[in-house]
Amino acid sequence: MIIVAVLLCAQVAAQDPRLERLDPDTRSAVVALMDSARGDGLPVEPLIQRALEGATKSAPGARIVAAVRRLALDLGAARTALGTDASSPELEAGVAALRAGATPQVLTQLRTVRRPPLTMALSVLADLVASGVRADSAAAAVLTLAPKARDADLVEFRRAVERDIALGAPPGAATSIRVNAGALDNAYGASSGNTPRPPSRP
Amino acid sequence: MFEPEDDVVARVIQQLRRPVTIDPELDARVMREIAAVPPAQRRVWPWWSLLAAAAVLGALLITRPWTWDAGRSGPDAFQFVLVAPQAASVSLVGDFNDWDPKRAPMQTAQGVWATVVNLAPGRYRYAFLVNGVEWRADPGAPAAKDDEFGTPSSVVTVGGRGS
Repeated sequence: MIIVAVLLCAQVAAQDPRLERLDPDTRSAVVALMDSARGDGLPVEPLIQRALEGATKSAPGARIVAAVRRLALDLGAARTALGTDASSPELEAGVAALRAGATPQVLTQLRTVRRPPLTMALSVLADLVASGVRADSAAAAVLTLAPKARDADLVEFRRAVERDIALGAPPGAATSIRVNAGALDNAYGASSGNTPRPPSRP
Repeated sequence: MFEPEDDVVARVIQQLRRPVTIDPELDARVMREIAAVPPAQRRVWPWWSLLAAAAVLGALLITRPWTWDAGRSGPDAFQFVLVAPQAASVSLVGDFNDWDPKRAPMQTAQGVWATVVNLAPGRYRYAFLVNGVEWRADPGAPAAKDDEFGTPSSVVTVGGRGS
């Protein structure tokens, strides 16, 4: 029954109408990568989205296949670091963190200090690096805040660092000052609960 | 003005002050009436109905397995904005709409293009497609550094814990 289910899933994936936006050669290569990823227990939706992004951006087929293959490999690396029970959003955020320069050990450590989901913590780490913060500094900051900070606190921390950088502060200094300010004021994790909010900006 | 000497009022007051006599059998009658009501019949569910309920619960657990993420909040509304006064059309495309420009055309008000999208927890790459040909990143959001297709993209992350 399990084999039948797996074959059925593979057939559904092969017939996914979204992939018709790819040329036949690219589509067959992407489907093969998806099948392999599925066999490894990895989520395939991120692979589909990466292929569709390439198709919409009119990228050559070879580049699309290379991007999908690289993403599949990185999803596997993220799962190794985060554990087999990591969710698809966590794995995607883990890929972003790894590509930003975080080590697998940082991901594993984050897993031990913060209860799931880790999506936001991993994303903030990657986004800080994208803002110019060194990977080790970003990782240290997130690991410091992770045990107590809510997701909203992490987002506010990232925005504060980005604001300081935009105003001319060196990225490393902006990060450490904001971490220390959060520790002194106990600003992160001091409040609790979700509050309704209007549509927000990313 | 109230005059207590008034004869009619005095008689009314007298009637009101007269003690009310209660039938000494009243309590006993009430208890007899209560006892006469038949007790509610307890319905014992047959074993097969319990089995059916367990099967439905099992099917739900299989099709929607419980994870840590199960307790996370549902989709959040996110507003995406791009200021592009010269643009004739702007579409929002990303991981949340299969990178399909037709699915998220943005509305403009004097050159400010905006749309609201409901996003479940996750990390999404996206970009704006201006006039159907020009790709632009969101200047108000983190950049996607791992762009392998040569055009700028941005990232939005929707958390699940007090985000």
